[in-house]
Amino acid sequence: MLGYLVRRLAQAVVVVFAMSIIVFVGVYAIGNPIDVLIDPGATQEIRAKLIAQYGLDQPLWRQYFTFLANVAQGDLGTSMVYNIPVVDLVFSRLPATLELVFVSVCIATFIGIPAGLYAGYKPDSLAARAIMALSVLGFSVPTFWIGMLLIMAFAVNLGWLPSGGRGDVGSLFGIPTSLATADGWTHVIMPALNLSLFKMGLLIRLTRAGMVEAMQTDYVKFARAQGLPDRQIVFSHVLRNISIPIVTVFGLELGSTLAFAVVTESVFTWPGVGKLIIDSILQLDRPVMVTYLVLVVILFVLINLVVDLVYARLDPRVRLKGNA
Amino acid sequence: MTRATLKSAVAALALLAAAPMAMAEDLVIGLRAGPDSIDPHWSTLGSQAEALRHIYDTLVDVDDNLQLKPGLALSWEAVDDTTWDFKLREGVKFHDGTDFTAEDVKFSIERIPEVTGPMSMTLYTKYVDSVEVIDDYTLRIHTKGIAPALPNDFTRLFVVPSETGMEARNEEFNSGAKAIGTGPYKFVSWQPKGDLVLEKFDDYWAETPIWEKVIRKEIPDDAARVAALRSGEVDLINYVPASDYLAMKNDSDLETFISDSVYILNVQPSVVDEEPQPITINGEPVDGNPLQDVRVRKALDLAINRDVLVDVVLEGLGTPANQLMPEGFFGYTDELGAREYDIEQAKALLEEAGYPEGFEIDFTCTNNRVPGDAVVCEALAQMWSRLGLTVNAQALNGTVFFPAAARKEYTMAMSAWGTLTGEAAYTYGALTHTPDEEKGFGNFNRTGYSNPEFDKVFDEGAQTLDPEERRKLYEQASYIAMEDRALIPTVILQTVWAADKDTLSFAPRVDQETRAYEITPVE
Repeated sequence: MLGYLVRRLAQAVVVVFAMSIIVFVGVYAIGNPIDVLIDPGATQEIRAKLIAQYGLDQPLWRQYFTFLANVAQGDLGTSMVYNIPVVDLVFSRLPATLELVFVSVCIATFIGIPAGLYAGYKPDSLAARAIMALSVLGFSVPTFWIGMLLIMAFAVNLGWLPSGGRGDVGSLFGIPTSLATADGWTHVIMPALNLSLFKMGLLIRLTRAGMVEAMQTDYVKFARAQGLPDRQIVFSHVLRNISIPIVTVFGLELGSTLAFAVVTESVFTWPGVGKLIIDSILQLDRPVMVTYLVLVVILFVLINLVVDLVYARLDPRVRLKGNA
Repeated sequence: MTRATLKSAVAALALLAAAPMAMAEDLVIGLRAGPDSIDPHWSTLGSQAEALRHIYDTLVDVDDNLQLKPGLALSWEAVDDTTWDFKLREGVKFHDGTDFTAEDVKFSIERIPEVTGPMSMTLYTKYVDSVEVIDDYTLRIHTKGIAPALPNDFTRLFVVPSETGMEARNEEFNSGAKAIGTGPYKFVSWQPKGDLVLEKFDDYWAETPIWEKVIRKEIPDDAARVAALRSGEVDLINYVPASDYLAMKNDSDLETFISDSVYILNVQPSVVDEEPQPITINGEPVDGNPLQDVRVRKALDLAINRDVLVDVVLEGLGTPANQLMPEGFFGYTDELGAREYDIEQAKALLEEAGYPEGFEIDFTCTNNRVPGDAVVCEALAQMWSRLGLTVNAQALNGTVFFPAAARKEYTMAMSAWGTLTGEAAYTYGALTHTPDEEKGFGNFNRTGYSNPEFDKVFDEGAQTLDPEERRKLYEQASYIAMEDRALIPTVILQTVWAADKDTLSFAPRVDQETRAYEITPVE
């Protein structure tokens, strides 16, 4: 078990290194950030001075090693645009994204899985058909469009919910979050719902497919023959057996939601990290881009690790050996 | 969720829906861009200056049309070729109660090179050699060489108290500890890309501001900004997208404000000996660079139907341009008439230049820098195809476009240029002067255009302190460069603001700034 963990973490380090090199080379290939940032009125002299000041006149390998040396000392760089440490910048905006993702994952899970179970349990019923139709909409209609529709309906026409922003931020267990205030909840609910639709659709379909298949297996027939009530069969046997693919997809989706909530964040002006990274790319703010992407890689590796551990818990046949 | 919490959540929702979104004495504005820092000496970005102007004052101010007017300085005059005297306003107080004096200006000028970022503010102090405090309200600036445009440069010179200290950096400003100015509003709070909250300053030297509190919300997404206005969350938005403009104009609940901007879309034909992207006829590269021939450039110009660009392509949100600056700017020449559209004459010129069958050429532009850049680009390509050219138009993200443009990789490009200082030296000195590091000119000359006659007239202007004489010289320079088609201006872009009908009164500005203290409620 310990060997497995060490191995996974070693892999993660390699991936993070590779990622940082790719980002560095990519930004270098686009060109000098100074050319994007610089004021049109600046003279050649000012330009040359700036390029030297940021070390952009150095060859690529030297810039990269300077970066590595700084990271080794715990300095991930300073944003060129904001002149504040990148770590502070990213972490000042991470709670907003995390709470949005948390609420959207809860919505997707607590609606998606029961709905999928029902649709698989009674596949021919009218309700099941309606659920399936809606799930198709959930992942085939673009997020930004549904987002705009939600805003048009609930903010502009009905005036029930605010059209964007994060609202009042309170404190929950010492963490600043808008989930601690009623105003915060009114702000979070619409973007979270928008962000959850894709995952919800996916969870519904996965759960339903697993359910339909499982209901025809021998163990379900035996259980029924034994006289067990359906409720017990579904929740303690079937659900556990169909969980593996659901957990996999859930994990992957959690990662990508965290990393790429940017569309929803843009539409609802949610001050999270997704917006930050897009702005940084548009301004070639290299330290922010590199740090953020490295963080995303670490995040994916961690989520995959957790998913693998959950497998073992769910299915004793999956062994966590050193070579897993 | 238990029933009780559900009930209270619903109750909270109902309460929120019933509460008025904004109090009457507060102003909430939705803006496309905000500041990058609260340090006024960090960046030259327009959105930065616009936001920080509420907190800090500049030495010299500009009116709606970018013409100079007194700010913290009441008057200024050139004493001799390298000396300027500024008379300062008395009785001005900083937000912390201290008096404003010449020492604060001196400190601010000297602070700039120490703290500026990649969008370097040293641009505005590059002519300053030394600063001398004559008395509390008189300041003498010794310049490097003759610097007639010094007062224009000082329109961006934000003044902070000398007690700020040289070591203060962005963090201290962003937290509010050092965010002290003489401006109409006091700093309350700000987060990067978030809301900037401001509070009225009662001891402001000019008219006391109307709004108790101003909240500037940064909403970069166009559709989200429009939704915020329509749902009543903000009172005013800037940069209304062209696609929403017509609907808003016809909406009886909303009111739009429209103004010319300083931004003009210019075509940049490269006139270097060997063009970076080959110009071809039937796949074969042509000898020499056809764009070097002024007849070819004139043909390209004549084939542009500017009325169509404005009315159809930009949905009315523009004005035809005939030089690199809008009318009324210092150095704008009246000698140039409106540009003609004459496809027959254009064809004749092209034939005369030796290209009766046209040629194939690459044409590159940005697609996210200013509203309408990509559509104008495509429309131009079509207009030139009527001339018999094959134009490969490519609209790129600014992140990719600008570094490549700096490497001079484009044969023909188009980008927007705004004369932010309101006078010709800024524009012509950067765009059409022969590149000259010594003098600091031609730093944005991407076309290789070089005309000794133009340089001579322009340089003379840059060395002339008398405003009337200088104006004449710049007008002449403008005429020469435009007759040469050094660049081909197409359209002046317009900016649109929108608010609820009959709530606010506001005079839109040509520099696109949204100044809360110039917005008044309608009784």
